[in-house]
Amino acid sequence: MAYLSTTNYLEDKDFIDKWLYTMRTGEMDLSWMKAATEKVKPHEANSRRGLTYRDLDLGSYGFTGVPEKVRGNRSYAPRGAEIPAGVPDAQPWVSRKSEVWAFNTESYYEEAVSRQWNVTTDIPWERLDSVELPETIGKALSQLMTFLTEVEMIATDTPAMWLPRLNPDFIEVKAFIAAQAMDEARHTEAFRKRALTTGWGLMKASPVNEMALKHLRDADSFSEMSVALHLVAEGNVLTMFRFSEYLSPTDVDKRIFRLVMQDEARHVGYGMQHFKYVLENFPEKREVLHAHLDEAENISFAGSAATELTESFIILAGGGLKKENIEEGIKITTKFNLKQMEEHFERLDKCGMPERKQRSKLYQMYEMGRAAAEAAGIKL
Amino acid sequence: MAFYADKDYTTDQTVFEAVNQVMSGNLTLFWYDAKTEKVKGKPTDLRRGLTYKDLDLGSYGYSSIPENLRTSQSMVARGSEKWGNLPDMGYVVNRKSEIWADNVTYLYEEDKSRRWTPAVDVPWSDLDAHPIAAPIEAACSQLYTFLQECALVSMDFAARWVPLVNQDFIEQKSWMCAQMFNWARLNEAFRKRALCGGAGLGRASVSGEQGLKEWLWADSYPKGSLSINLSLGGIVLAICRHVAAFAPSKVDRVLMGYAMQDSARQTAYGSGQLRYYLTHRPAEMSAMQEYVDDSEHVMLALLGSPELIEPLIIISGGGLQKDQVQAGRAAVAKFLRLAISEYFERLEAAGLAASRTRSRIAPVVERISAAA
Repeated sequence: MAYLSTTNYLEDKDFIDKWLYTMRTGEMDLSWMKAATEKVKPHEANSRRGLTYRDLDLGSYGFTGVPEKVRGNRSYAPRGAEIPAGVPDAQPWVSRKSEVWAFNTESYYEEAVSRQWNVTTDIPWERLDSVELPETIGKALSQLMTFLTEVEMIATDTPAMWLPRLNPDFIEVKAFIAAQAMDEARHTEAFRKRALTTGWGLMKASPVNEMALKHLRDADSFSEMSVALHLVAEGNVLTMFRFSEYLSPTDVDKRIFRLVMQDEARHVGYGMQHFKYVLENFPEKREVLHAHLDEAENISFAGSAATELTESFIILAGGGLKKENIEEGIKITTKFNLKQMEEHFERLDKCGMPERKQRSKLYQMYEMGRAAAEAAGIKL
Repeated sequence: MAFYADKDYTTDQTVFEAVNQVMSGNLTLFWYDAKTEKVKGKPTDLRRGLTYKDLDLGSYGYSSIPENLRTSQSMVARGSEKWGNLPDMGYVVNRKSEIWADNVTYLYEEDKSRRWTPAVDVPWSDLDAHPIAAPIEAACSQLYTFLQECALVSMDFAARWVPLVNQDFIEQKSWMCAQMFNWARLNEAFRKRALCGGAGLGRASVSGEQGLKEWLWADSYPKGSLSINLSLGGIVLAICRHVAAFAPSKVDRVLMGYAMQDSARQTAYGSGQLRYYLTHRPAEMSAMQEYVDDSEHVMLALLGSPELIEPLIIISGGGLQKDQVQAGRAAVAKFLRLAISEYFERLEAAGLAASRTRSRIAPVVERISAAA
């Protein structure tokens, strides 16, 4: 066993005798009744919303009162409880608020809880019975779904890896991450189910994008992980979902993309707010995050070499494999690629990193791509 | 950073050429004839929708996952064609027997269909309309403080392991995400309940937390799952059932109703996983039994914690008067017997038939229960 309790309770005579005494006589210690904790009385601020975490933001229990450096709790005790001597160290790696916090975290979590949906029953799968897509479209759709199935689960593994490393006082962040993990599992499920209902099954893996997944997982700090996952990767995927909804060949696909977009937007929202928070409250981190973005953007650009994805996107966008289809598909895909990069830099700008454009090689690629698109007569 | 891309792609001519070729209309279509099975899954029962079971087809199905995963270490979706240079993600759970349970896909589907929202599905304002006597409210506040500790550790357990589980176990990993979410939701509900009664939080439990950490930090998934899913899930289920029966308010009754559903799924998976493990790895039986013997003292650490047992007596008896405490003790004695009995029943049903007879905690709990 990796940890042994400081006491073997089977051999702790005092512990068992006290318990036995309580049960036999009814005399209780009741010292917990004198716990030195604050008495508060939260109420629903809005009865339609119910009792939210924000309603509990009171005194020593509130998230507002969590200090920048959490020194008082390293155990599994809930924030605000009395912590007696002898509780174990939960070994958190992250006890600094600016490393994890985001304005509105509690609301992102509450929204996630209230907007849970069920892939099994909320998608009208039965409508696919009467759908026979042309081979080119069916295969392109399957290839897109294969890619999405492959990448979605990383957004489960990566935040999950950090969840037990966060100080238990960051309960709203931990809850948000748990909700995100569920969201991503659901996305994987949706895309896998759709791929396996096309009639073509899954298609080819995407090695270039797998490299990006590895990069996402192996960040040095939560903030670096978050900027690469929530801002760069999920930001890119959010743009992709929007375009995919636009070029979906069936209403079923449109429905899937609309639902996953809700979830993904929430994750990007958290990522943006966290990025803003860390830049404002932990300014020394700025250079570290720039350096991480250098690598994240390099890997993001590498994704353009994943022809299995680009080509399937072109076919779906153009509606087939004929010359005119391909031409139309290329126009839309070019717009998509540029929009993805444009939105990425807009997000960084809004979060307080406007200087990123000057430093970023990806931004140079964006400008080159934009100039080339304009030269080719593609309206942006 | 622990991982860097193999090169700077923004200066790599091969990338530019590849992109230019495709964006000039010269598609490679190398993916078009992927060597994968062609299937068209359909819902077998329209009322249930399209379940993972409906997609248990050929090379895509979970039934065909082999015991040892030797050729999958990347995040490639099970059944798709692997090619090129795929990374090793460093999974450490690569044997089906160490993670799987026959009921895992059903539990995942059930989990999604039974979603609830603590903010709005619990009638919180009822506590204002029907306030509870101070000693009972203090007991509730303490009980829900204890339950938050249990929920936090259970959430951490699933989170700790999910990135270490091979991607081919996609349904299993999805279930673990559902578990994380369940425990986050229960933690939220327990916290809201503890605070909205007006008594604030209580005191953390030393014995409880020491025990929880020992279970959480078990050195293999099957051991940790036995402890956290089967044993702890079982204890939480028993507490929720007990409190629902003696609920001092409508809020507690409704909340515990939801909590029972969620914790029952954890327990069902814990039992299913242990059964699957022992069925497929009979040689591990004695090691697992030894682990149970060594770690079952944590059951005492939790059940005997004053931060749990005393509030339970007060809630069960309805107060602190002598006759109330007397009634509370009797009810808690039943609770203890039932919790322990169910624990052994689950172990026996999963294949650890000798647990009850060799257990050292059973006589202790019996002696304590009998004392009431």
